[in-house]
Amino acid sequence: MAGMTSAAPGRHYLDVWGVAKSFRGTRVMSGMNFRMDRGELVSLLGPSGCGKTTLLRIIAGLMEADEGDVVLGGRNITRLPAHRRNISVVFQNYALFPHLTVAENVAFGLRARGTAKSACAGPVEEALRLVRMDAFATRPVSALSGGQQQRVAVARALVVQPDLLLLDEPFSALDRKLRETMQVELKALLRDRGITAIFVTHDQEEAMGVSDRIAVMNAGRIEQFADPSTLYARPATPFVMDFVGLSMRLGGRVVESGGQTCIVETAHGRISAPGGFAPGTAVQVGVRPELVAPGTGENTIRVELADAMVLGSKTVLHGAAQEGDRLICEMPGIRTGLARGDAVDLGWSVADTLIHEAAA
Amino acid sequence: MSGRLDRIGLLAVPALGFLAVVYALPLAMLLAKSVQGPDGFSLAEYRAFFADEYNLRVLFRTLRVAALTTALAFVIAYPTAFAMSRAKGIWLTVFLVALVLPMSLGVVVKAFAWSILFRANGVLNSALMGLGLTERPVRMLFTETALVVGAANVFLPFMVLPIYSVIRQLDARLPEAAASLGATPWFRFTRVTLPLTLPGVVAGSAFVFSLAVSMYVIPSLIVGERQQNLSMLIARSFLFLRNEALGSTLAAILLAIAIAVVLGSGWAAARLGARR
Repeated sequence: MAGMTSAAPGRHYLDVWGVAKSFRGTRVMSGMNFRMDRGELVSLLGPSGCGKTTLLRIIAGLMEADEGDVVLGGRNITRLPAHRRNISVVFQNYALFPHLTVAENVAFGLRARGTAKSACAGPVEEALRLVRMDAFATRPVSALSGGQQQRVAVARALVVQPDLLLLDEPFSALDRKLRETMQVELKALLRDRGITAIFVTHDQEEAMGVSDRIAVMNAGRIEQFADPSTLYARPATPFVMDFVGLSMRLGGRVVESGGQTCIVETAHGRISAPGGFAPGTAVQVGVRPELVAPGTGENTIRVELADAMVLGSKTVLHGAAQEGDRLICEMPGIRTGLARGDAVDLGWSVADTLIHEAAA
Repeated sequence: MSGRLDRIGLLAVPALGFLAVVYALPLAMLLAKSVQGPDGFSLAEYRAFFADEYNLRVLFRTLRVAALTTALAFVIAYPTAFAMSRAKGIWLTVFLVALVLPMSLGVVVKAFAWSILFRANGVLNSALMGLGLTERPVRMLFTETALVVGAANVFLPFMVLPIYSVIRQLDARLPEAAASLGATPWFRFTRVTLPLTLPGVVAGSAFVFSLAVSMYVIPSLIVGERQQNLSMLIARSFLFLRNEALGSTLAAILLAIAIAVVLGSGWAAARLGARR
């Protein structure tokens, strides 16, 4: 991304440009560029410490960048304090005001902008109806469940009609089933209202579910910024391949290169992969597990099963692999008759094979 | 289960016995004296107390000094508690030591230290005159101002610590959420931070007010007999006037004030906490 800093800022709805940040002398981010369009739902996805929350806080104005600019809707907001940016934040713990009722929480942003108390009632009621919490208006927030608190936090963030909505791990405090329901609900709500939003998350399924595009972050950099299907089918780096979805993974060295394809020597034999890597290059080849099937294919390896897990909707085969490799095959439905210790052939096509230069 | 809880409750028996014998019993006997006339029950002492304008002045002065002391302690303690809540490691230790260590220094020592500061040829007056701000030494010792400053100094930890403990539990995301909703720093402080830290302020104020309304040593050393307060009046009744009825009446009034403060602050804290 470093080569792209020459692009002029301001052409996109949100343009984060050349941002750098240090904590106690340690650079956690430098030359960060991030752009999105109006109405997009984007996720910042990465492991903890990758810089996604730092980027969110810099956009929100809760943290100052050491270098770089943040431009929103053509306005440079880099030096504006948070309360003058019109960017709402939904926090991981929702940060509802414990001394206020549900309705008072939602009215807070309007009151802060000088709206008279009497003029707040209408918008507050509408916002609460939007998240189906209108029956709870007079309750104290401590009496609400996690899912209800999240709805109130969303209503509170939306009632001020923000130019941008930021959500910091908004689903992580909810249990799995509720999380999926809330993801569907929230996505529909944001779409209907044409809200531009950024989700910060470490959960790749959540990111793929709620966003148009995902920026996969690692060590203060964006590794790949693409729509979910591209990210999954064509991961740009070994990190993205590993972080987004599971994959079969084999380390090896290119032994033959013939223009469109090359042949890689691995611990489980030779594998053909698309791409023109020079012979001798250390690479990592991979393939998504649902594209692998028992039996022979264009690429075939023989593995000894470490486990065959019947998970209901799918059956997963794990092969015994050496350190750093992963041998995995997923089949839809329930497959029986395979057990630990069996030797099986696993096959897949050359076109489905992913290949990246191995990290030094 | 309840049997086990009952037995744990027995652990309070020694403390209760101790308090009953050493505190409740003598206090009850003392208070009984205040309503004991020559012919049995009588409120004559109370009537006499409230009829005397001097006594009312003492009562009013006592309350005023306690209120001013509480206010001054609050003004100093509130920002201090915030600074402490942001302090880490060695700095937090420095804060706590600076706060707690002076408590181990007797009030007597402190009072004499203040007199070096406040007296006519003391440090403050020398500085003021040296700067040409005043021609003549300003009287500071033996004034109510000096008393309030001194008392606030002694009681400061009782205001800082409760506020500090509330601020430490304050979710740092709340002011941030308020900011992202468009709240200016002033709006954030008055609508979020201050209301959420009020329980600490109420507790600290109750401590300081109770201590200041009943203090004896500090006013004796700083203002002397010139401006008496309730406690000094009580001491004089018992020690010099040998008037137990008057002394116990004054003690009862002081106790009533203390109880009112405790109940009032408890009510305020419950009201503030009711919506959590």
